[in-house]
Amino acid sequence: MNDAPGELGFVHGASWLHRLSPIPKLAWLTSVVVFAFVSFNAAILASIVIVGLVLATSAGILAHAVRALALLAPLAAAILLLQSIAPAVCGGACTPVASLGPLTIYEEGVARGLTFVLRILAMETAAILVLQTTHPSDLFAALARLRVPYLLNVMIALTLRLVPVLQREVRIVLAAQRSRGMRGTGLAAVVPALVPVFAGTVDRVGQLAISLESRGFGASGPRTSYRRIGFSTRDLVLAVTGVAAGIAAVVATIALGPTASPAFVVPAGAAVALVAAALVVFAGSLVRAAMAIGRA
Amino acid sequence: MSEAPSPIVEVRNVSFRYGRNGPPVLEHLDVEVPRGQVVALAGRNGSGKSTLARLLNGLLRPTTGSVVVGGLDTSRNPPRRMAAHAGYAFQNPNHQLFASTVAAELAFGPRNLGVAEAEIAERVADAAARLGLEGVLDRHPYHLERGARKLVAIAAVVTMRTPVLILDEPTTGQDRRTSAMVRALIDDLGAGGTTIVCISHDMRLVADAADRLLVLDGGRIVADGTPRAVFGDLSAIARAGLAPPQITRLALRLPKRAEPWPALTVDELAGAVRHGAADAS
Amino acid sequence: MAGAGVSIRGLWFTHAHAPAPALRDVSLEIAPGELVGIVGRNGSGKSTLCLALNGVVPHLLPGERIGSVVVGGIDPATTTVREMARVVAMVFDDPDAQVSQTTVADEVAFGLENLGVPWGEMDGRIRSALTAAGLGGLERRDPATLSGGEQQRLAIACAIAMRPSVLVMDEPTANLDPAGRAAVFEIAARLHRDDGMTVIIAEHDVEALAEHASRVIVLDAGAVVMDGPPAEVFGRIAGASDDGVAVPEVTSLAARLGERPGRPMPVTVDDAVAWLGDAG
Repeated sequence: MNDAPGELGFVHGASWLHRLSPIPKLAWLTSVVVFAFVSFNAAILASIVIVGLVLATSAGILAHAVRALALLAPLAAAILLLQSIAPAVCGGACTPVASLGPLTIYEEGVARGLTFVLRILAMETAAILVLQTTHPSDLFAALARLRVPYLLNVMIALTLRLVPVLQREVRIVLAAQRSRGMRGTGLAAVVPALVPVFAGTVDRVGQLAISLESRGFGASGPRTSYRRIGFSTRDLVLAVTGVAAGIAAVVATIALGPTASPAFVVPAGAAVALVAAALVVFAGSLVRAAMAIGRA
Repeated sequence: MSEAPSPIVEVRNVSFRYGRNGPPVLEHLDVEVPRGQVVALAGRNGSGKSTLARLLNGLLRPTTGSVVVGGLDTSRNPPRRMAAHAGYAFQNPNHQLFASTVAAELAFGPRNLGVAEAEIAERVADAAARLGLEGVLDRHPYHLERGARKLVAIAAVVTMRTPVLILDEPTTGQDRRTSAMVRALIDDLGAGGTTIVCISHDMRLVADAADRLLVLDGGRIVADGTPRAVFGDLSAIARAGLAPPQITRLALRLPKRAEPWPALTVDELAGAVRHGAADAS
Repeated sequence: MAGAGVSIRGLWFTHAHAPAPALRDVSLEIAPGELVGIVGRNGSGKSTLCLALNGVVPHLLPGERIGSVVVGGIDPATTTVREMARVVAMVFDDPDAQVSQTTVADEVAFGLENLGVPWGEMDGRIRSALTAAGLGGLERRDPATLSGGEQQRLAIACAIAMRPSVLVMDEPTANLDPAGRAAVFEIAARLHRDDGMTVIIAEHDVEALAEHASRVIVLDAGAVVMDGPPAEVFGRIAGASDDGVAVPEVTSLAARLGERPGRPMPVTVDDAVAWLGDAG
């Protein structure tokens, strides 16, 4: 019942970032995400990550933010690995730098992979800053204020709610089956467990729907909102600056084209070390996942 | 009962916490259960009952101390090996049921234990008859209403015929008729030598079926004795968030009458009152 | 928030795909401010009857409905469940499946927002509802971290903040420990006594109902088979040998010892002490 909040969740605090209205935060977040999506400029992407970590420090959530970033380590490792050994950029014409056993590492691939990882890090750092310094209820109130349809809002909120519940259910169901002598671990154990979890979820969602509608969800007439989202002139200026900066950066990136993303070369030794580290992180996370399933 | 040669369940100086830094859920627990005893575990939500039950079949392992069931140390044997010794019927049947028919659900446990098909059929028929499920063996468990689904979850563990049977709130959602079936099941299995550990808020069930009542509060055992003895100390049981059955509460309001006292059942109190009236006249 | 009456006439309901009706010719008049207990074995139609009062039956759980239901002047079948929320509040058995928000205060506010309650009124209503449910001071907590009993009291707080005329609870204590169960009944009794709210509770815990309800209705196979004050209804069941509906143990005792003409059967411990004391 008392599951710890997920690493991505809100961290209590009273820093300036906690107190800032969610609207400018959302504006800056959107700008960073869109820019990171179009940019290949490793230097700028890396600067965004660094600025993000500085902001996290000033908001007193650095440790939480780093832990949340670490969640994506397996994904980042997988991307770096895949790009390094099978780059999508230059077809068969890439420059090999080294080989690790049967794997050949390509120079362009490492650079490309690193850029991808930086893109993800930039987006995630920004998202974590917003999620960890904004109470979920304020976030939803802000989305409502930004005219995100209320139904969509409620659906997002309920989905987020169901995640820890489902995690808990999977654990209990696996335990229940094991205590009836179920053999098999890993996937063989998880598949039959999905039946009760799915059936239980359908049951629960059905009950929740009845409960929400019984409390007037979707009633006619104007809805009111309990959470008041402050929106001062300063917030407005901040939000507009964020959006403007985003638009400018995106336009500049597109207009300047490939020149805005200078190719950089990773020295061979560093490339091998990077790929080896990625391999370790990725394999390690697979082993951990398998062990977690075995233990549950 | 205490002169049984060796206990089938031995909990020795067990403490438990979730994770490395979680708050303690159980602290320095010592419990021995002789073979064939029916033990009720009661206490408010969060008192540690379910944790103790899960320690008994190896789903959880003690942080310190040891739990030995049927001679097997749960810290050294995986849950699926413990499954042959201690069956566990979960509180929420949805956590347990996944087969496409009630019959398949009931056969799942014994099949995992390697029981022969002919005997599985016999066990399924027996468990179904005990809990009134004969008519629904071909139905999908999820098409049954929740009370009946719960009975299926209990039957699915009963077919494993483990020496120790753990029931988690078996009468939740049951009406008078189906509660009586659960109670008869506990009586029969207990008389047949099965050791039963029953977590329950249902004090009527506890009074009727249990040889012994363990009350937990804040991760410690605060009362341990026959239900009659434990219910007799009203203030102690109230501190643990419980109340005796209504008839016992009435008995405790009346002047003390003939043994056994306090009365646990309507029959006992009716007998005592008639007896008392006869004495007075 | 004075209570409203409930009037049910000739109500039949058969769930879609069900072989038999869940309710058969139910007719009931419940006066404003009553606290009514509904008892009956599993499958006797208790839940269906509760859900018919705010229109979940037949709007969300479809089927064939004959007859009429009027709650606070409205037939739920002719409007929507969400509109009925202005009149009837529901509390269900599974506390876990009723919470949807990230703080206790937001949970209570959810219903108020849906009804368009002005912002200035919300804080006061939230605070008084939480206080009434014994959850004062927990406004900032995440409902998922509350105990089952607290979550169920939160569900009740959500209901009473909406100021319904009728509060319907479908086995509200089925998943609670004894202390949680007692708290739910005490809150219900207070709403009935102090606020004049109409409260309808479907329950297996007949001893708690006997303590608090002014009237008990027995359903069997979808039909009302008994209806009256607890002493009368439980006294009659204890006299017969019905294996489906439990009665308070003290009532069984009195039946065993022999009814006393002209004396109501005891249903609570206090009643029974007096009843036995008069035995002479």
